[in-house]
Amino acid sequence: MNLQKTTEKTGSVMVVGAGVAGIQASLDMANAGYFVHLVDNSTSVGGLMAQLDKTFPTNDCAMCVISPFLVEVGRHLNINIISNSEVESLEGQAGAFHATVRNDPRYIDIEKCTACGQCRQICPVTAINEFDCGLDLRKAIYIKYPQAVPLAYAIDRSACIGCGLCEKACLAEAISYADTPRRTVLNVGAVILSMGSSVYDPSGLDTLAYGRHPNIVTSLEFERILSASGPYKGHLMRPYDREIPEKIAWLQCVGSRDINRAGHGYCSSVCCMYAIKQTMIAKEHVSTPLDAAVFYMDMRTYGKDFDKYYTRAKDEKHVRFIRSRIHTIEPLKNGDLNIRYVLESGDVQEETFNMVVLSAGLSPPPSAIALAGRLGIDLNAYHYAQTADIRPVNTSREGIYVCGAFQGPKDIPQSVMEASAAAASATETLADVRWTQTKVRELPAEVDFSGQKPRIGVFVCNCGINIGGVADVPAIREYARSLPHVIHVEDNLFTCSQDTQEKIKQVLVEKGINRVVVASCSPRTHEPLFQETLREAGLNKYLFEMANIRDQNTWVHMASPAKATAKAKDLVRMAVAKAAYIEPLPQVMLDVTNSVLVVGGGVAGMEAALGVARQGYQAWLVERGHQLGGMARQLRSTWQGEPVAPYLSDLIDAVHRHEHIQIFMETQVVHVTGTIGNFTTTLVTQDDEGKEKSTVIPHGAAILATGGHEYAPTEYQYGAHPSVMTHLEFDVAATKQDNRLLSAKLAVFIQCVGSRSAERPYCSRVCCTHSLKSALWLKTINPDVQIFILYRDIRAYGFRESLYQKAREAGVQFIRFESENPPVVSLTPGDPSEPNSSRLSLTVTDHILQRPIILNPDLVVLASAILPNENKKLFEAFKVPANADGFLVEAHAKLRPVDFASEGLFLAGLAHYPKTIDESIAQAKAAVSRTMNIVSKTAIMVGSVIAVVNPERCAVCLTCVRTCPYGIPRIDPEKGHAVIAAVECHGCGVCASECPGKAIALKHFTDEQINAKTDALFQAA
Amino acid sequence: METSFQPKILAFLCNWCAYAGADLAGVSRLQYPPNIRVIRTMCSGRVDPLFAIRALKEGFDGVFVGGCHIGDCHYQDGNVYTLKRMDMLARLLDISGIGRKRIRLVWASAAEAQPYADSVTDFTASITASGPLDRSRQTLALAGLSRALATPRLRWLVGIDRQVTERSNVYHEKTDTAHFQRVMQEAVETEYHKAMIQEIISQAPANVRELAEKTGLPVYTVSLRLNDLERNAQAELRGHEGRTPRFAAAA
Repeated sequence: MNLQKTTEKTGSVMVVGAGVAGIQASLDMANAGYFVHLVDNSTSVGGLMAQLDKTFPTNDCAMCVISPFLVEVGRHLNINIISNSEVESLEGQAGAFHATVRNDPRYIDIEKCTACGQCRQICPVTAINEFDCGLDLRKAIYIKYPQAVPLAYAIDRSACIGCGLCEKACLAEAISYADTPRRTVLNVGAVILSMGSSVYDPSGLDTLAYGRHPNIVTSLEFERILSASGPYKGHLMRPYDREIPEKIAWLQCVGSRDINRAGHGYCSSVCCMYAIKQTMIAKEHVSTPLDAAVFYMDMRTYGKDFDKYYTRAKDEKHVRFIRSRIHTIEPLKNGDLNIRYVLESGDVQEETFNMVVLSAGLSPPPSAIALAGRLGIDLNAYHYAQTADIRPVNTSREGIYVCGAFQGPKDIPQSVMEASAAAASATETLADVRWTQTKVRELPAEVDFSGQKPRIGVFVCNCGINIGGVADVPAIREYARSLPHVIHVEDNLFTCSQDTQEKIKQVLVEKGINRVVVASCSPRTHEPLFQETLREAGLNKYLFEMANIRDQNTWVHMASPAKATAKAKDLVRMAVAKAAYIEPLPQVMLDVTNSVLVVGGGVAGMEAALGVARQGYQAWLVERGHQLGGMARQLRSTWQGEPVAPYLSDLIDAVHRHEHIQIFMETQVVHVTGTIGNFTTTLVTQDDEGKEKSTVIPHGAAILATGGHEYAPTEYQYGAHPSVMTHLEFDVAATKQDNRLLSAKLAVFIQCVGSRSAERPYCSRVCCTHSLKSALWLKTINPDVQIFILYRDIRAYGFRESLYQKAREAGVQFIRFESENPPVVSLTPGDPSEPNSSRLSLTVTDHILQRPIILNPDLVVLASAILPNENKKLFEAFKVPANADGFLVEAHAKLRPVDFASEGLFLAGLAHYPKTIDESIAQAKAAVSRTMNIVSKTAIMVGSVIAVVNPERCAVCLTCVRTCPYGIPRIDPEKGHAVIAAVECHGCGVCASECPGKAIALKHFTDEQINAKTDALFQAA
Repeated sequence: METSFQPKILAFLCNWCAYAGADLAGVSRLQYPPNIRVIRTMCSGRVDPLFAIRALKEGFDGVFVGGCHIGDCHYQDGNVYTLKRMDMLARLLDISGIGRKRIRLVWASAAEAQPYADSVTDFTASITASGPLDRSRQTLALAGLSRALATPRLRWLVGIDRQVTERSNVYHEKTDTAHFQRVMQEAVETEYHKAMIQEIISQAPANVRELAEKTGLPVYTVSLRLNDLERNAQAELRGHEGRTPRFAAAA
């Protein structure tokens, strides 16, 4: 696609890097009216996440959760995946960039390759399998992983000897040795960089012996070992001799928090959690006992539900956590590894492990650093994209945005959040060219077959030799001819190839076929393709059924061709039997209300409202209090030192001035009805005289940003002495240049006040950073002040570690305490005639000296927990769930971090979990982006595979209401039966199977259809 | 030096040069040791390396291959293929520990009776000095060599060598010889290792250390090769003994 350069604003965008962040950004923008060019320098999308086995803290299978996203991005009409490519240059300016992209040859035609894998089997050249981190080999012709998108092989030219064997084996004629590098110029309005992260290579740390012994693996290698698709098929074995390990050690901070040897001063943010995950998964993978020991400096489980996960590992799974940094690993002859470590007490221990996992940190990929240089964007000291806290996804060059791990080391949900945020930011200035570059598929009207008998066409695929080489395809084809209602049969070399699709379309029309059965591969990968063909021929796409005779037949019964043929016949008979009962499922268009309700007037709420407005849509901003700003009103600066007050006043001003924002102060949400695209919410506003006024707002989506507040401590003499203050009070005092701060000679910060307790078993995430920042500030204004920080773990994640480093350099002293033995603050009475003359005394047990230390501070700052705001009624009105700690629960902890399970509702800010201001801003922008997927459309399509209630059979027993995983069914009091909103139903069918009265049918999977299949199976062939 | 050991040597001689040279040696009454038995082929290029392994398996102590000098082949360049194949065979014999000394490739023209007789004498002396091939101790190696030499991968690679390194590969370039040699060496090693492992596990399941002991391969190498076999559905995990997994030939 070579486009003419233009200086006009364009509605196309470019995303560079197709990991989970790039995919999310692309989907968000493509679904909100922009054409997306998704460029990646690898042969397929998916990034680092595709390599992971499970994800914390839910232990979900990474591939299972990411692959629907891969498929969606791969099939999206408005996403152009440009794999194997590098962006060479970017000219022009925001709104009208010209990107030159070099497309390196793949030597395989993506359109023709069916990923059958014949080429791989015969290729004589092996190479290192990078996907399995070198634990395994691949061929010179390869596919990165079986679920890759684009689902096509590629030739690794550096390994290939050019023998030509693959071309001989490829029946799809997809091999194209004549490929050469091509250059394309793309006109794009904005660019999002999401180049992700590479994993630190520990070979430079010679004392760890990595690379010299196979049983010392990196954490990513261990992921591959655990993975069911990995080199050992998910059996936990150590590489050297395949013994099942009895003892495994994890070494934290390898290539992180290490300025001496690794040159990486920052914390990689994710390693503590993935190490915990790996210990638990490893224990699950073996039937024999496994001793897991994690050697760490600080356990940084600062995210949502992370501390509980840590506790579970410790208390339930008996993982040993040992606070010690390991210097040397000594390999033994039998494959075991010796580790010597020093306990906090100073005792030296020696222990032998069967295997050692190095929790390798993240580092920016060299290719990403080089690209940043070509694009002229600023990098920080660690070579990550430099961003400001108040503009967390903007790079230094206008029109270029960043998200994910290239902005800073971070976990998946944070990356996904930023990806949506970047999508919102990138498209803000392109709102007027929305839907100008997007494509629409022109389709013929659907033919009405009602009243007609089924006329079934059966297409049997040979898949080259993948099916035909094992099963007798002509026999299957002729068998299909004998089945009821079948009026057409044929077999194809590749049923999925472009030319076959054209022929199928013709034959459907010519023969008046009204039901189609394809016997080939898996519906998971190919059903959408065939459905598209049906639709192009004027058939409703649900008039289709598939028989999986490859992935679940010929590929798994290669040695039994006769049985495979018989099984294929069974599968075809079943598919044909169901096809006779399938019905067209037309989708209904529902109009969308193009506005968004935002609840909460803090930073997150205001950013959300402003974001919606700047996208060109109406935002209704509701705040129950009398002023905007929330917790940020008391904050002095961001962690990078950007002042909050001017930002906040600008934001409040912008919100007030924007024509698309209407603000409702002192207003509460009392009632919500409707579904995605069309909600109706009743607001009640308290006016100055205390009178209530109600307003009814129609909106297409809603964002809940109801915020949080600081815990009011009951401990450490808080309230009893003016010099004992919380973080927020410290910030306010600092702004006022309060003398309690200026004159302090001995200041003590106490961490985890109200956090990580039995009552509140979560980490408040921001407090360590805030204490470090505050301590440094105190030191600047008063270099003589002596400062102690009393902590449990210093959780200065990411680049925030630099504050920890600076604080230590500045002479701040750190004393760790155990939760069972917290510091004690007492008051020594002073002069009774003088108010506030009592003196503070503090005792803490030093973990190194193992004895109590007594301090007499004149300032005690409490790192008070962050609590979610009470909003029970509001949450009930929206039917959104809160967890045990009171924080709102997102749809999926990993990949849908700003969505609620109920469609059309989103969340942002402290209501979700404690977070820093930059993270709140990012999440708010992310929520904006998610709403754009709804409100930027004039209509949404609903229907198809959904549950429907037969009112006559419904006994209003509430079974469906209770069982629905999404809480969609409700009882309509007027109609007197259960109703399931078509627009909200996810189509799982749980209700249909539970319904005692069989009043619920799941379309396309009805009892009749499923029974037809089983009946057919037990009919004699 | 008189020795009781009389080696058995099998020779493959091409019709046009080596065989003619051998005849000339007879005409010329040139004397050489009587240990050699000759099979005539039209071209040395007919000699499949599997013939050599079969000969060693069945009782010969050495295999001698004679062909035309490079450039003189009656079939243009059939002997260049012989050269490539014998080189691969030599590498395999080295890896197996049997050693390339058990085979010899000699170019002898129809006129080179003396060089032919000298080569036979020399090879016979060399094999005599090496002693008999101890087949009882080399069962696994010989089985492995047969299996490896029967793999399409090695046969394809050795056959494509000249096409891609001397003429043109599919990219209309010449494949770098050093690169090709690395690929070949890697293929020869891994195919032989895998062949031995397959040979063992086709009889009974075994664990990695047992396999290492029987094959003489380093433990980790066995682990890696098993991986390769598993990926291609030629081996599979079959049960455990305590913490030690056993591997078997795939069903």
